[in-house]
Amino acid sequence: MGVKQMPSYDVELVDIVKDFESGGGRVRAVDHVSVQIEDSEFFALLGPSGCGKTTTLRLIAGFEQPTAGHILIRGRAMEGIPAYHRPVNTVFQDYALFPHLTVEQNIMFGLQMEGVHKKEARVLAAEALEKVRLPGVGERKPHQLSGGQQQRVALARALVKQPAVLLLDEPLGALDLKLRKNMQFELKALQRDVGITFIYVTHDQEEAITMADRIAIMNDGLMLQVGTPKQIYEHPETHFVADFIGETNFIAGTLIERRADGYGTVRLGDGTVIRAQLSETLGGSAGTVTVAIRPERISISTPLNPPKALGNADEATVLDALLVDSQYIGTDTRYTLRIGDEIELVARLQNIKDQEHAALKIGGNVKVFWQDSSTTVLDK
Amino acid sequence: MPRWLSRARKNGSLLALPTVLWLVIFFVTPLVIVLAFSFMSRGRGGVAIMPFTLNHYERTFDIFFIILQRSIGLAALTTVICLIAGYPLAFFISTRRRRLVQQITLFLVILPFWTNFLIRTYAWRILLGEEGTINSALLNLGLISEPLPLLNTQLAVLIGLVYGFLPFMVLPIFASVERFNFRYVDAAHDLGANDIRTFLRIVLPLTMPGVLAGCALVFIPSVGAFVTPDLLGGTKGLMIGNLINNQFGGSGNMPLGSALSVVMMAVVMLSLLVYVFANRRDRGA
Repeated sequence: MGVKQMPSYDVELVDIVKDFESGGGRVRAVDHVSVQIEDSEFFALLGPSGCGKTTTLRLIAGFEQPTAGHILIRGRAMEGIPAYHRPVNTVFQDYALFPHLTVEQNIMFGLQMEGVHKKEARVLAAEALEKVRLPGVGERKPHQLSGGQQQRVALARALVKQPAVLLLDEPLGALDLKLRKNMQFELKALQRDVGITFIYVTHDQEEAITMADRIAIMNDGLMLQVGTPKQIYEHPETHFVADFIGETNFIAGTLIERRADGYGTVRLGDGTVIRAQLSETLGGSAGTVTVAIRPERISISTPLNPPKALGNADEATVLDALLVDSQYIGTDTRYTLRIGDEIELVARLQNIKDQEHAALKIGGNVKVFWQDSSTTVLDK
Repeated sequence: MPRWLSRARKNGSLLALPTVLWLVIFFVTPLVIVLAFSFMSRGRGGVAIMPFTLNHYERTFDIFFIILQRSIGLAALTTVICLIAGYPLAFFISTRRRRLVQQITLFLVILPFWTNFLIRTYAWRILLGEEGTINSALLNLGLISEPLPLLNTQLAVLIGLVYGFLPFMVLPIFASVERFNFRYVDAAHDLGANDIRTFLRIVLPLTMPGVLAGCALVFIPSVGAFVTPDLLGGTKGLMIGNLINNQFGGSGNMPLGSALSVVMMAVVMLSLLVYVFANRRDRGA
């Protein structure tokens, strides 16, 4: 339709808390989470197992009730509204296809609950199977299908209801790597095609980064950071986020100066002073901090092959280092470098030019350099 | 070595020989004897003699038909009541989160088996008798002015049967619900089914194997019960089991007893067929 009411959040969580009773004690699974998810957004909830992401999803679905806080779906408060009256549908991790019903009956189930006539439901079910590219299996029982096929049926069963929001709980978790990669593309394409808001729970950072419009990182029930994959990857706001997403070098240091341009001066353990970009969430007081920098942002050059122009030299850092180790990992080579006695860094260089790698000898002295905008200063 | 023997040795069917012998001697042979007796005439002392006759089957379906009917009716009613009472109980037990609560409730279901069935049935005589616990309690409370006729009725038999066979309904349903994946309930709710529809379309069909097994385990022994009707039913609650039992006593009628047994076996076989058929349909073979 294209008509957008403003503000149009599809799902809004307002200060959600969820406690579980467990063995006499209380466990906080979701800790004051607030987030707005927009219409037609592909939103990923990412975190390690037990971080509260699945509980958050179950709260939205209505399988669990929040201890405190509010959930709004399309602006409507969900308090007291049971799961079967919510305009959301779920694709479960183990698919939860009804084993005693055929594939077609599984897909028709939700339609029949809405009172759709059997004939019409049958047509819609067939269409849904076409949409997930699995036509002609309607008569089969779920156990006669492969894992990937069951996954598609689960998707069809949820999508046929045309929900406002589709909730997906690690839907690709049980598939093998190759199939998972293919399904990632397909799911993303499908989401664009149907235009339904997807809330996608995963512990696989790569999955989240490649598929999602925005990612929320959760740990210990807290939502640590919400942003686009690029924001999350390049500007992590906490040590945990930087560590959880991708590989990161952490260098301990002391913040000795804050500047108005968003950069600061940090003294590293061995006395080296560098310029680095401050995280927006960095605590107020100067003191012990961590400088984070991604391995692929670090360049290496030998004394014979000096650092190439980095634009303004004031905005780059160049340090002497010792090449300690190298590790070939297919697309890249990982180099372990030592600066001074204490600091160890990992740099990744793509395996494009062989002579570049050939010049890097273990035990040799090199220069490492990076642009200051590639760094982030975080609370320790 | 004959060929059949060497083949039997190879495929392991010799291992079944002791069982086969046992069944032939103690199961098939008596069965054949009962079947033969049922077509023979009654001799002195109730034994079976020649010539062959259909007389006993005629009597079974004539004057004893009411007892056959009553037996099937009581057994069916027992099964239905056990199902209605047992399903929620089994469901309750298997959905307890705390293992200890589950174990205790399950233990309580099995507890009656620790006492002899005969003794437990006698206990019901004390409860239901004219001066029994129930009647005297009601009299003392002034709720009734004279004792209710509880003992020696079909109601008493029904109470006794339900009491005796309830665990046989609870245990298989418990096992079924225990295996049931409650994610399906989430999925059904998610797809818009309320609690009742979720139960009828998802939970009940998926726990049907337990329900069918429970029904078979209650119905079959109930049809042939004779201790319970003997102690609690008196003449009004006489069942086919008592009738058969009486035919094999001193002044009995073995051919008639055999005919009654054959008919009862047919009823049991028929209900087993229903069970097998329903189970297969359920599995959606």
